[in-house]
Amino acid sequence: MDNSIHMEKSIQEDIREIAHKTGERLREAGADKAQYTVTETQTHEFNVDGGEFSLFRTLFGHSLSVTAYKDQKKGSASTNQFDDSAIEAAVRDCLKSAQSGVADEAYDIAPAQESGTFRDGAYEPDIDLFFQRTRELMRDIRERHPKILMEQMIVSHDQTHKIYRNTNGTEFEAFQGAYAVSLMFSAHEGDAATSFFGSDICTDRLDRPFIELGSLEKDLADTEAQLSTVPVEGKFQGVILLTPGSLPDFLGNIIGNFASDGCILDRTSIWLDKLGQSVADSRITLSLCPGDRRIVCGERFTRDGFRSKDYDLIKDGVLKSFCLSLYVANKSGFAPAGNSSFALVVEGGDTPYADMVKSIKRGLIVGRFSGGNPSVNGDFSGVAKNSFLVEDGEIKGAVSETMISGNLAQLLNSLVAISRETVENGSSVLPYMAFDGVVISGKESGAQ
Amino acid sequence: MLENHVSDKKSLFPTGAHTELREQKSRSRRVSLVQGNLTGNERSESLGISARVYQNGVYGFSSMAECSGSAAEKVLRAAVANALFMDRHVGRGKGPLPVIPCSDVPAGRAIQDTDQKQYIEFAKALDAYIAGKYKNLSSRSVIVSEDSMEKIVCTSDGCDGHICAPRSHVYIVLGAESTSGSPLELFHPVGGSGIFSENFTDPALLYPQIDALYEKLMHKREGVHAQAGYKTVVLGGFLSGMLAHEAVGHTVEADLVLGGSVAGPALHKRVASDLVTLVDFAHTAFGAPTPLPVYLDDEGTPAEDAVLIQNGILQGYMHSRESAQHFGMKPQGNARAWSFSDEPLIRMRNTAVLPGKDKLEDIIASVEDGYYLLDTTNGQADTTGEFMFGVSMGYEIKKGKLGRALLDTTISGVAFDMLKTVDMVSDTMEWASSGFCGKKQPMPVGMGGPALRCKVMIGGR
Repeated sequence: MDNSIHMEKSIQEDIREIAHKTGERLREAGADKAQYTVTETQTHEFNVDGGEFSLFRTLFGHSLSVTAYKDQKKGSASTNQFDDSAIEAAVRDCLKSAQSGVADEAYDIAPAQESGTFRDGAYEPDIDLFFQRTRELMRDIRERHPKILMEQMIVSHDQTHKIYRNTNGTEFEAFQGAYAVSLMFSAHEGDAATSFFGSDICTDRLDRPFIELGSLEKDLADTEAQLSTVPVEGKFQGVILLTPGSLPDFLGNIIGNFASDGCILDRTSIWLDKLGQSVADSRITLSLCPGDRRIVCGERFTRDGFRSKDYDLIKDGVLKSFCLSLYVANKSGFAPAGNSSFALVVEGGDTPYADMVKSIKRGLIVGRFSGGNPSVNGDFSGVAKNSFLVEDGEIKGAVSETMISGNLAQLLNSLVAISRETVENGSSVLPYMAFDGVVISGKESGAQ
Repeated sequence: MLENHVSDKKSLFPTGAHTELREQKSRSRRVSLVQGNLTGNERSESLGISARVYQNGVYGFSSMAECSGSAAEKVLRAAVANALFMDRHVGRGKGPLPVIPCSDVPAGRAIQDTDQKQYIEFAKALDAYIAGKYKNLSSRSVIVSEDSMEKIVCTSDGCDGHICAPRSHVYIVLGAESTSGSPLELFHPVGGSGIFSENFTDPALLYPQIDALYEKLMHKREGVHAQAGYKTVVLGGFLSGMLAHEAVGHTVEADLVLGGSVAGPALHKRVASDLVTLVDFAHTAFGAPTPLPVYLDDEGTPAEDAVLIQNGILQGYMHSRESAQHFGMKPQGNARAWSFSDEPLIRMRNTAVLPGKDKLEDIIASVEDGYYLLDTTNGQADTTGEFMFGVSMGYEIKKGKLGRALLDTTISGVAFDMLKTVDMVSDTMEWASSGFCGKKQPMPVGMGGPALRCKVMIGGR
């Protein structure tokens, strides 16, 4: 690697010094309480567009975000400039915003905790090997999946050094570095083309070819298999088998609609009075685990300044927690969440994936869901993309223009099975999950 | 105004390579009131300099979070080194980009800052109006948002410019329980290009829009599920705008055409009924400024309108300078970057279906059994042209008359099939500009259209 691409970092300040100056300015400005985070980042990124390398970029960034409280009023400001006047302006802006705000007893910062320094992943990149792995991935895809056209591939090494402090004396510092591989591709043969599909990997090791990681190889093969489609006749209730790729959309909507800050604060969550009660099939345990060894560079401290802890949102079907910030926790009387990450972990079940497919009388394997924002009550509808029709336990072929609709809360109570196999992509650990009672409709159902 | 640290660095540009140097400041302000609670009260600033160098078919890019002459020189050196690295290892061996006649695009407007207190007081006034007048709501939110980009673009072989693009919006969200006890919400954005004090002078001016939103929510409380299937619908202007952007616009972005989109083999072919003409407007449409005017892109190309579909025939794509060279077409100013640390990508500006000659009431009266779909929550589309839009407000049409309101649903179709079913187009149109388009980077975009009678798949029970 040519050393000339490594730009000198003389302009980068020591972020400890920036944190110190910020604390001083906050004290001088008269903040009652405050928390602030100073971050410096370095990114090396290669882009592939239309199947060809197109761009190499190196980014050097830093940022300061400050939240201050005065008379129980809160304001926030952020800047990416580290000179004295910028720090002073950010603190001034922050306090001025707070003074213009609305007093609320629920505003608070995390209490004093034991300080911690965290080092995760591959902090310093091996750009030469990373570039070789990227070229190898392109070659592997060309040779093993010749029908795939790579619309875009973005591979990057992202290095982050972050310091969090608050005026209760808590300080956390994290050094994290990881390689991210993000692919967007479709399959083409003659005039036939599939929908695009995205597959992502996050890793801190370069000891294996990228194509072996996550579900990448299967995603590429499945996409090639989607070139020929079969019609879906009529409208029926059936089973949807969600892949580890499509599952996060559904789980994210479940969390957003029923367990997050917004729906608890405005009291629209249908789970508001369900803590400690059954909300799902007893085989379902859904956890958020940034500390899990299979999660690469997971969150070490929360946005509110708590040391992150893994927790179960649902355990054996029972709602154990909401995903709340400190503010909404104080406002609602519930406990704040153990972490503020989206590191989803659902452990594998006892049914082999192949047996799950065989048990489906009529339904879909849903590789991707393109849907509207679900209703507040959990009603969802949308297009089953990159999906396959299953009848009498056999995969009949890929589908097009097929919609699915149902209700997220009911879905959790309509579990058919959880696969034994799981996919670890560095950001989540997820199995295949099959649910019954979903309305599936093909274009032919009402064609005029 | 942003101090210029880049224009005097042209002498350092490498010879024989296309080079862009850009200095940029981005600002955002946001205030959120949820049930009267101030849940968001934030201000952010981000500025820096980036350089991009095109060498034999590959780009090198670098950025720093600093605005100074030395930062400009450093990112320029790093971008040159990155381009050389790529050229050496990848070696696409392409020639230089075609030159664009140079000129200078002056700053159209200055961005003035607004005191945070003004946003908060405005939001509080709206919230007090809602809380005082409508006691049967189960939830309410008021969000005030302003974002702006100011850029100094300096290129080796194109136009230079100092451009400012502010926009400001107020979002109202009202919630109620349906007659069956399920929670429902409706959302309404107001605003567009311009700073907050230009767009919002008096909260009372928004009261009629809040009243109209409340009335729709009350209709939705009595709403029914749509019947799933392939139906005749009238898409309102916001949905036809979403269609223009998501289902057609993305497929005719030249980088996605190169990535295998359905528009590749469809050029100069019929993709819609002859009632459909679709344009990506730059800065002026129908004699007035577009919702989010663009005068110059970040590659130094002056912005002009891109006609994408004319009378049902696919006429062209949206381009960067590189893709325009590949296809032998003219770049029209679509290469835009979000942050100083982002490279320009092919992006839409103000994409719209043009109005036709039909009256909306005649279109509705012509539908025997279908739906009138008014508002959308979100939309996604595929490079195959298959699209999905969330629909948050609509009505049944029975024997030419509007019927019951609809609960949330979703519509889908394949753009170049569905557009061929368009057989009536209204003579008025609506624009929207409050959202972000997501494509590696976010980007503010405008979209609009008239009411369209057509056939789509609708989700439901």
